[in-house]
Amino acid sequence: MNPIIIWTVVILAGLGLVLALVLFLVARRFRVEEDPRIDLVEKTLPGANCGGCGYAGCHAFADSAVKASDLSAHYCPVGGNDVMQKVSDILGFKMEAKAPQVAVVRCNGSCTARPVINEYDGAASCRVKAALYAGDTACPFGCLGCGDCVAACEFGALSMDPATGLPVVDEAKCVACGKCVAACPKSLIELRNKGPRGIRVFVACRNTDKGPVARKACSNACIGCGLCVKACAHDAITLENNLAYVDFTKCKLCRKCVAACPTGAVHGVNFPKEVNNG
Amino acid sequence: MAYIVSPNPHIHAKVSTRSLMLDVIIALCPAAVVSFLFYGLSEIAIMAFSVASCVFLEWVVNRYMLHRASSTGDLSAVVTGILLAMNLPPSTPLWVVFIGAVVAIGVAKMTFGGIGQNIWNPAITGRVFLLVSFPAIMTDWTIPAGGLIGNVDAFSGATLLQQVGLLGAKAADAMVGLETLFSNMGGSAGEISALALLAGWVYLLVRKVIKPWITLSIFATVALVAGIFHAIDPAQFTGALFNLLTGGVILGACFMATDYVTSPMSAWGGVIFGVGIGILVMMIRYFGSYPEGMSFAILIMNTAVPLIDRAFHQKKFGRA
Amino acid sequence: MAKTTFAIGGVHPDDSKLARACAIEVLPLPSVVYVSMAQHLGAPAKPVVSVGDKVLTGQVIAEPGGFISAFVHSPASGTVKAIAPFKDLAGREVPHIIIDVEGDEWVEGVDLSDTLITELPDREVILDRVKACGVVGLGGATFPTHVKLNPAPGSKADCLILNGAECEPYLTSDYRIMLERTKEILVGAALMQKALGGCRTVIGIEENKPEAIAAMRSALASLPYSGIEILPLKKKYPQGGEKQIIQAVMHREVGSGALPISVGAVVQNVGTSLAVYEAVQKNKPLITNILTVTGNCLPVEKQHNYLFRIGMPLSYIAEYAGGIPKGAAKIVSGGPMMGRAISNMEAATVKGTSSILYLSEESTRRKLESNCIRCGRCAEACPMGLEPFLLRRLWKAGDMEALEANAVQDCIECGCCLYSCPACIPLLDHIRQAKGAVLGAIRARAAAAKAAAEANQKNS
Repeated sequence: MNPIIIWTVVILAGLGLVLALVLFLVARRFRVEEDPRIDLVEKTLPGANCGGCGYAGCHAFADSAVKASDLSAHYCPVGGNDVMQKVSDILGFKMEAKAPQVAVVRCNGSCTARPVINEYDGAASCRVKAALYAGDTACPFGCLGCGDCVAACEFGALSMDPATGLPVVDEAKCVACGKCVAACPKSLIELRNKGPRGIRVFVACRNTDKGPVARKACSNACIGCGLCVKACAHDAITLENNLAYVDFTKCKLCRKCVAACPTGAVHGVNFPKEVNNG
Repeated sequence: MAYIVSPNPHIHAKVSTRSLMLDVIIALCPAAVVSFLFYGLSEIAIMAFSVASCVFLEWVVNRYMLHRASSTGDLSAVVTGILLAMNLPPSTPLWVVFIGAVVAIGVAKMTFGGIGQNIWNPAITGRVFLLVSFPAIMTDWTIPAGGLIGNVDAFSGATLLQQVGLLGAKAADAMVGLETLFSNMGGSAGEISALALLAGWVYLLVRKVIKPWITLSIFATVALVAGIFHAIDPAQFTGALFNLLTGGVILGACFMATDYVTSPMSAWGGVIFGVGIGILVMMIRYFGSYPEGMSFAILIMNTAVPLIDRAFHQKKFGRA
Repeated sequence: MAKTTFAIGGVHPDDSKLARACAIEVLPLPSVVYVSMAQHLGAPAKPVVSVGDKVLTGQVIAEPGGFISAFVHSPASGTVKAIAPFKDLAGREVPHIIIDVEGDEWVEGVDLSDTLITELPDREVILDRVKACGVVGLGGATFPTHVKLNPAPGSKADCLILNGAECEPYLTSDYRIMLERTKEILVGAALMQKALGGCRTVIGIEENKPEAIAAMRSALASLPYSGIEILPLKKKYPQGGEKQIIQAVMHREVGSGALPISVGAVVQNVGTSLAVYEAVQKNKPLITNILTVTGNCLPVEKQHNYLFRIGMPLSYIAEYAGGIPKGAAKIVSGGPMMGRAISNMEAATVKGTSSILYLSEESTRRKLESNCIRCGRCAEACPMGLEPFLLRRLWKAGDMEALEANAVQDCIECGCCLYSCPACIPLLDHIRQAKGAVLGAIRARAAAAKAAAEANQKNS
């Protein structure tokens, strides 16, 4: 055989062996002792590293959960109750179930309801736009439409609806991590209980202007008339600063408020079709 | 009426990517015209085909692979096309030119995300790919018939740099004279006239498209390294003037190394970049197996640009 | 003397001083004025009148709401109609005092004559009157002038710089007052010089205003003041930036995060100097200023320099000047480099208003953003020596530590980066956000450190 080939093989093999040895020794020498449960917990987690739990990532969550005395400060919104049950089992804690939540956009000022009064020409960012001025519609509270929430969502659950100019939440994909809530400079997105079969009622408006002003800016605005408050038999709706708010912990989903609202600002979603018709 | 609202500033300088690329195209015109004069219609065909291929490929990739708006309007593909043609021997078959364009635009530029995103200069990447893949074609310096001026007979065969191997350094040095400034002997199409290339470079400087630091530091380093080696052993190593005027050093230093995207952004970074290219090109010429090293030198230093950019920052106001 | 300028960066936009030949005209009073309580940097002023009160022109209607704040005076005589939120030029609600105008009857003690008074009162009188008359910096930042003229103990002013650069294109209000109110400005300079303890005083004027330089020089020769000089500056934007003009005049660099006084400099605008003159020598509060109605889609004969009262609706002024021109695509208050786009023309003028600028679609609409080609023009243009391309990348990556290390907090928001970007990347839009975030973090850190120090002190 050609001696060049032999030498090449020998040298390369030798080099590989030496380097492997170095790697082995270094790994040995600088090994960090870690609670093995951290690894176990981390493997149970979804691994999305989204930060929805409030920690820097899944490893940080696991690390903190292992050291914690109970799991009151730890909840993985992505994994939900199933994953938290497993984590609780590993760590020997009692699991506290939470109702599944979903992101809800509280603005329904669509292009038709809320006419544009000037043309924004800056960077396509809601944060930049909000810092600059009141916005390109007469409603200073409404959606700015640049899609910061869409960009913030790591699960592809948000998209802009070109017809309305508003973001739409894909409930199947939304894990209620809260990234969009933080991203919206107008605080339009709220995490609300998903409700039975996704049925829920909420006020899709944040305008606190007086009725006529709000109505002039947007035909879909909550005008603070209080009809929904009167219609609610369960004390679930409060009116503050000319704006109604539905408390999802008290709402019994009767939809009397939806029918009572003169501007259509109170939304009932995912109700079965036949009930809708009747 | 809905008035526009935006953050400041509310006016913009009359400069765009397109206007900058147009300046580069204008700057390349003298060298291109000289190559047409020397090599005739076939060179015009190569350049036209190269430009058309690059523009077409960028359009195809944007439209059918990346599904986004076309970026060919910025004229950067035209620049790549011209530079690619200038880096090829005048007898290159068109199908080889097309392969070069595919590598330059398709691989070196668009896979990284289009203009501004590539690590390596597209035209050089295309050329080097061809050089490695088709060494015979890429070193065939036969002059096609049809040149308008010049003594065609004298040109066929090896380039000056290859003649170093054939005739020895001393003889090669002797062949470089004043006339080389105007018309070099055979080589890549764009390298014929040093003067035409330098005129384009000066145009870019005057128009403030580029800064002189990269180009000057390449020239200085090549001259210095060649001068030292030549002084040590004139029989083995060619001299400074020879090395400056041959093998695409001028074309590379003026138009390829100064490519915004693949060069450092700071002045000092540019100097380091230029010195690196100068040293590498001389090492490849003196000790490497390729007679010419400009393309490889630039590509290697392109790779180092992110590191150089990290190390050099400009002076900030009110800070030490 | 050789013309000087600042050292790093800068751009050269076409100066477009279209209204330079238009003499200052006085705007008549509208029927209602809307006086903002946030006309100055710092805490909003607190109203001291109530609805139904009769007020006279020049009467105090609001007092400072904090240390860095200023008095606000009534721009007309009439009845207070309401004290209510009113939308500013960005459409945001700000507390305003709304006055039904019944006339222009001034409060007592104001000298309304044109007589030039050149004798300078005592330092304390100067400072008191500047404060009582609500004088704020009219160069853009509207920082209360009495605070600036009274440096903290331990710091001393070596040089008072009067900023007559007016480096923003289109604006001509400073130019006009330098021509028409030359001596008043110089007396104002002498007053501020005295207030600062008699330091060297330099009036910096860009070379594109030779008539102003000549007028200032000849007026200075006829006045009895010493230690005041006129310094022509090279034309370069942003020459009027505080740190930039200090470097151009004194060749000293104000450190990052430091105030001009740290290098012994105090910078005041020429308009402020005029306001100081009127406040101290005439006891006239700051209720007027000059604004330019201009733009590239406005015929030259329709361009104006107006003496306006604060509280006049912008739409009223635009209407008086002949209406909004047809080709206008964007209306800006201030210069085209640093001004603010107006989304609400019903908003009222404030002390610092300097222009109504109409820009054509072609000149102002941003071109489509494309990829960064790493040309480095933004870094070359940045007068603070920052690297805008890098800052934008770091902001997108959310790397706050690297942003701070790369001095994003030093950004003066002059707009040179975006102005010079061939790819039209909205650099400043993002950098301003990053700057805000980093400054917030720095402040939070400082507050935490202070709290920790206080807690330590209590314990020991």
